[in-house]
Amino acid sequence: MKKVSIVLLLVLSLALAGCAQQGKPTSGETTSQKVTLIGSGATFPQPQLEKWIDAYMKLNTNVVIEYTGKGSGGGQADFEKGLVDFACSDPPIKEALWKKLEQKGQPLQFPMIVGAVVVSYNVPGIKELRLDGKTLAGIFMGKIRYWDDPAIKNLNPNLDLPHKEIIVVHRSDSSGTTKIFTTYLCLVSDEWKEMVGSGKVVEWPVDKLGRGVGGKGNPGVVAAIKNNPYSIGYTELAYAIKENLPIVALENRDGYFVKPNDTTIKAAIAEVSMKFPSPKEGYKEKIENLLNAPGKDSYPIVAVSHIIVWEHYQDKAKERAIRNFVKWILTDGQNSEYIAAGYVGLPSELTQKLLEEVGW
Amino acid sequence: MLVRKVKERLFLAGITILTFLTILPLFHIIFSVAVEGLPVILRGGWDFIIGTLAPPDDGLGGIGPAIVGTFVLTFLASLLGLPIAILTGIYAAEYPNSMLGKATRTLLMIMMEFPTILVGLFVMQILVVPMGSYSALAGALALAIVMMPYVAVYTEEALRGVPEKYREGAFALGLTRFNVVFRVLIGLARKGILTGVLIGIAKVAGETAPLLFTAGGATRTYFNGIDRPVGAIPLLIYDLVQQPYENYHEIAWGASLLLLIIFLAIFLPLRLSLKEVKL
Repeated sequence: MKKVSIVLLLVLSLALAGCAQQGKPTSGETTSQKVTLIGSGATFPQPQLEKWIDAYMKLNTNVVIEYTGKGSGGGQADFEKGLVDFACSDPPIKEALWKKLEQKGQPLQFPMIVGAVVVSYNVPGIKELRLDGKTLAGIFMGKIRYWDDPAIKNLNPNLDLPHKEIIVVHRSDSSGTTKIFTTYLCLVSDEWKEMVGSGKVVEWPVDKLGRGVGGKGNPGVVAAIKNNPYSIGYTELAYAIKENLPIVALENRDGYFVKPNDTTIKAAIAEVSMKFPSPKEGYKEKIENLLNAPGKDSYPIVAVSHIIVWEHYQDKAKERAIRNFVKWILTDGQNSEYIAAGYVGLPSELTQKLLEEVGW
Repeated sequence: MLVRKVKERLFLAGITILTFLTILPLFHIIFSVAVEGLPVILRGGWDFIIGTLAPPDDGLGGIGPAIVGTFVLTFLASLLGLPIAILTGIYAAEYPNSMLGKATRTLLMIMMEFPTILVGLFVMQILVVPMGSYSALAGALALAIVMMPYVAVYTEEALRGVPEKYREGAFALGLTRFNVVFRVLIGLARKGILTGVLIGIAKVAGETAPLLFTAGGATRTYFNGIDRPVGAIPLLIYDLVQQPYENYHEIAWGASLLLLIIFLAIFLPLRLSLKEVKL
């Protein structure tokens, strides 16, 4: 038993040494108290958020921010239970939860970063493919069976398309990406709206035809596209860029073919920025409002990720720190030097509108 | 005659191959973690062990908060779990035929196989939600619950393994029951008990599921008190491998190797140096 106590003592002294080391700088160095902000939620904006946090902590040495990625739903639940100071969520908070939150205080929901859902494909020899919404819906419905279908050919007269069956790749798990993509298909195809509809999980018609392939998470979809020649699928922009997959130029509402990039995604959000509700009424935001935006340069499938905070906190130092952090994200944080690869910042007219609405 | 010999050879060859197959994954894990993780740690150097997490696609940074967190959690879990577990084991060994003793034994076996994620959820409900924050204490409690049945069962089995004559001899010397157990039997059973303690500690040092809903996680702060969130190496690995960034995957390999080293460091020297008790 002596040995056990020796081990315990060792571990204890190690732990204490760790605490002591940590304790010194906080007590000696600054006059103002250090504020720790804790957040959790969506994994999609996590890399971007980490980048912001790193930059922000360098500028404001008396604030420490910790973020844990566990999914939008997890973040919303943590926020509701009061376990975290802020939460991040891809879909906006639903009305029922919002009303519950309002009983505790005024919640504020800010869009913070834009992402896009892109259509990628793997057809040997083909690098520039154009599609419109109807044709895309036709492919995912299984109505368009071969790559050299007249519908695809008419949009791409210069391409030498092979007579091969199209393999359709989709998410197998419940996913916000699927929700956004199917909502877009509903907007551009009445047939899709009636036959399939939108949701985090849908019944893929192509699965019944035996030409559908499911992938878990964005990495799974990307791998399935890479491994199956003559396939097509949808994924988040960051993954398509990172894996160097070819990306479809989609026809937007005004009839122009656009590829997703910083300009086209920002243009789409700028077009719809007046449709964003005030941060005090976050639940009024609808995914549909952001999709298929008008404008020559607008990319049609975009979505925003949100940060959710309280307007007031019991701890006033914390309230100040949260306010400054959110304000910084929506102003300086949107500069390209602070934006991670694969993400797109918000247009300044939107961020200004949001900050004015809360009076910060 | 010949058939019998062939049969015997076949049987021996069979179990040799199966034994090899059983331990093969262990060596494969150690090998691949070392091959992938060692370059990362060497490149990161001292900073990898004491620093904080790097931004995506930008260097290695360090996993200091997770290492400190794992030590804090393991220490607190041992503090909470070991005394109770050892006493429970002693009880089950001393009163094997009483109702409570039998029930304890059965329940310990069930607890051992209990899904650890449910332990995490349970602690979240009783501790995290009322306290209003993820915390080191909650993580440690979940780990203690996971650890206890192992330690208790090993303690009980070690005590049962002590031959009856030692107990009789001790009683014959006029010792009280307390002294028989704590002065004589535990000393004789120390190897078994210590093995249980080490297995318990090593197991919880590498646990992920009980921490998901309790510890909270931290990559920038080391330790702010037991009522605040802390990081943990397994939690960090789980988090990092889900990201699309190359450097996060590298950090995860490095963290895996460190976890393996910590695990082996707890386990090997004590296991090897502990003297066998001759009976």
